[in-house]
Amino acid sequence: MLKDYKLNSGFDEMLDEQTGVRSHYSKFHQLFEGLTPAEFQAKRQAVDTAFLRQGVTFNVYGDAAGAEKVFPFDLLPRIIPAKEWEHIERGLAQRITALNLFLHDIYHEQKILKDGVIPEFYVLSARHFRREFVNFNVPKDIYIHVCGTDLIRDAQGNYLVLEDNGRCPSGVSYVLENRRALKRAFPSMFENIGVRPVDNYPQELLKSLKYIAPAGVADPTVVVLTPGAYNSAYFEHTYLARQMGIEIVEGRDLFVRDSRVFMRTTKGPQPVHVIYRRIDDDFIDPTVFRRDSMLGVPGLINAYRAGSVSLANSIGTGLADDKVMYYFVPRMIKYYLDQDPILPNVPTYLASEEKDLKYILENLPKLVVKAANESGGYGMLMGPKASTEEIEKFRSLIIADPRNYIAQPMIFLSQHPTYCDDNFDGRHVDLRPFVLSGERISIIPGGLTRVALRKGSLVVNSSQGGGSKDTWVLYGDE
Amino acid sequence: MNYHITHRTLYEYAAPVSVSHHVARLEPRASATQARENFSLQIFPEPTLRKARVDYFGNSLCFFAIQEIHNRLEIISHSRVSVNARKPVPPESTAPWESVAEMFLDPVSPEVIEPYQFVFDSPQIRASQELADYARESFGKGTPLLVGTRDLTGRIFRDFKFDPRATTVATPLEEVWLKRRGVCQDFAHLGIACLRSLGLPARYVSGYLRTHPPAGKPRLVGADASHAWFRIFCPGTGWMDFDPTNNVQPTEEHIIVAYGRDFGDVSPVAGILTGGGKHDVKVSVDVEPLD
Repeated sequence: MLKDYKLNSGFDEMLDEQTGVRSHYSKFHQLFEGLTPAEFQAKRQAVDTAFLRQGVTFNVYGDAAGAEKVFPFDLLPRIIPAKEWEHIERGLAQRITALNLFLHDIYHEQKILKDGVIPEFYVLSARHFRREFVNFNVPKDIYIHVCGTDLIRDAQGNYLVLEDNGRCPSGVSYVLENRRALKRAFPSMFENIGVRPVDNYPQELLKSLKYIAPAGVADPTVVVLTPGAYNSAYFEHTYLARQMGIEIVEGRDLFVRDSRVFMRTTKGPQPVHVIYRRIDDDFIDPTVFRRDSMLGVPGLINAYRAGSVSLANSIGTGLADDKVMYYFVPRMIKYYLDQDPILPNVPTYLASEEKDLKYILENLPKLVVKAANESGGYGMLMGPKASTEEIEKFRSLIIADPRNYIAQPMIFLSQHPTYCDDNFDGRHVDLRPFVLSGERISIIPGGLTRVALRKGSLVVNSSQGGGSKDTWVLYGDE
Repeated sequence: MNYHITHRTLYEYAAPVSVSHHVARLEPRASATQARENFSLQIFPEPTLRKARVDYFGNSLCFFAIQEIHNRLEIISHSRVSVNARKPVPPESTAPWESVAEMFLDPVSPEVIEPYQFVFDSPQIRASQELADYARESFGKGTPLLVGTRDLTGRIFRDFKFDPRATTVATPLEEVWLKRRGVCQDFAHLGIACLRSLGLPARYVSGYLRTHPPAGKPRLVGADASHAWFRIFCPGTGWMDFDPTNNVQPTEEHIIVAYGRDFGDVSPVAGILTGGGKHDVKVSVDVEPLD
């Protein structure tokens, strides 16, 4: 079935221009070729029905047609050989270590600013710099417990970091569900090919959460705090809570008494020790942050300060996933670890630097422009694909508020064979591995491979017409 | 000048409140020009939990929670403060404003790093071209920093009408700008926004103001109010205060409680409650001179 698959320009995950199918795809390729088109269609339909029935969905903001959508899933897995994965893993561990050291430093001595490695300007003007937490000690000095770092591959196949999501990264539920679906579709392949399992992620997450429990609590109660059913990742919140065997709560299910957090239950109030919060800083406690928030828990931050409850991720991590701060991560790695980055950044221009600004404004049609504090593909300009009006709109936005914008050259993400319009064709993919920091750093083998289903599109966000694939990390290299 | 200040805030709720969490910033700061001799904070009903700490800007704050059912909440603070006027700085002797703004383009010296954080937008104050244009009328080329600030203060005083019914604590600055009306909080925000639009660091100050009874009349107890103004950083001298609501440079009659980037950092009493329905707030402030 894949014999008609043609190479498009750019790096292809499965095919090498000279040698054909890459060695780590060869076993899969062989087994897959044994399928008839009818068998393939039957499997595809079975997977789609299963997703719908289980409610594997997400919400799109601003879409009037209906709140929930099924996340499109492509049956062809993305495969990563052991050697490559080991490199990625080392790079991600290095990066999260530096980011946690950076946040600790910024919320304490600010040495990196005093030494002039990062200009103060960028921290003081950052929207997510939480002054309230300067000199506050977070449990075990871990700020980002769960990080989703987006990786892409350039034309030579080098892995580059596109961005770090250190607030409430989502997508891991799809990793787990995609794997379940594919196991059902291809039950025998996994052992034959030697694919590393991903299903212990919820247990690893729970372990990381329990690790930060207040001292002296032998059997901590951990909960997932969700903003509610209208949040785009609500499916994931309920899914993870179920997988970890813990309660999912909304702000109104919790209350604070005597600087301790309790959950309302049918058996009366139950103390809560660790909160995996999937709600932004701004909304988490109206006594401290946005007063109009109806989603949070009044008094929670005071309980957090008192040390009776721990939060993951910590307050103020948004500073590290500011897209301008991203520019400085290689410097953080050098400064705190005295190492060179294992996974390089995509070349980035800061609109607030005069020289860069000039370059950005002169080359807008060639560049990708991103707002510093947006995510999910919102607030973004794809220069080469944009209309003149869009480009001019961004030009005035950038001039009005340079601190809020960065620009990057258009990187043509790697392609992967994907089933589209009754055919297999190359579509662009990225990779979001999930990094857990607890007693040790643990990274789910693989992560979420997102695929831009529109031909030629480079935007993989689920809210912008993206789908996903299962990601296989092999025990070996073939 | 010595003062005894009494600040009462009374909330009366239409329906019972089962739990409430509050943050109070009522304790006057100690500084080079102001000594805090005494401070007490009484809360009725007695909070189950009460915790004092110092915030990022060095203001004292008190977090408290009341966990019993209550229909009213009364917060009373008493402060004994002595204020010493600082030696006046002749405004004409201050540096041209452009050279001050320039210091913050590439701040390296320790003197400017602290004020640097007050150059930026804050949650309630956003710089804009329009405000910069307005400010420029006071800050012509080479205008000494404090000459310009004094002039700007006077223009806000004349161009904007004091009108307690025009705005609330939640009115955005853009609306104040259009309506040309507001109260001390709005005028302080406006002054700060103008200065920041020129790249100058400015801070929001909350506090009290001594008021004088009309000639021949006795001083009315409790008729004062909490007040707000702004300060600007002046190299070599430090922070200098300006009060656009009264068009004065505060000396011995302004008592500083707290400062921050804008009102949100220093709000005197803020709270979140469960229950309560409609509520009624009565605030009374008495600034009693002791000398």
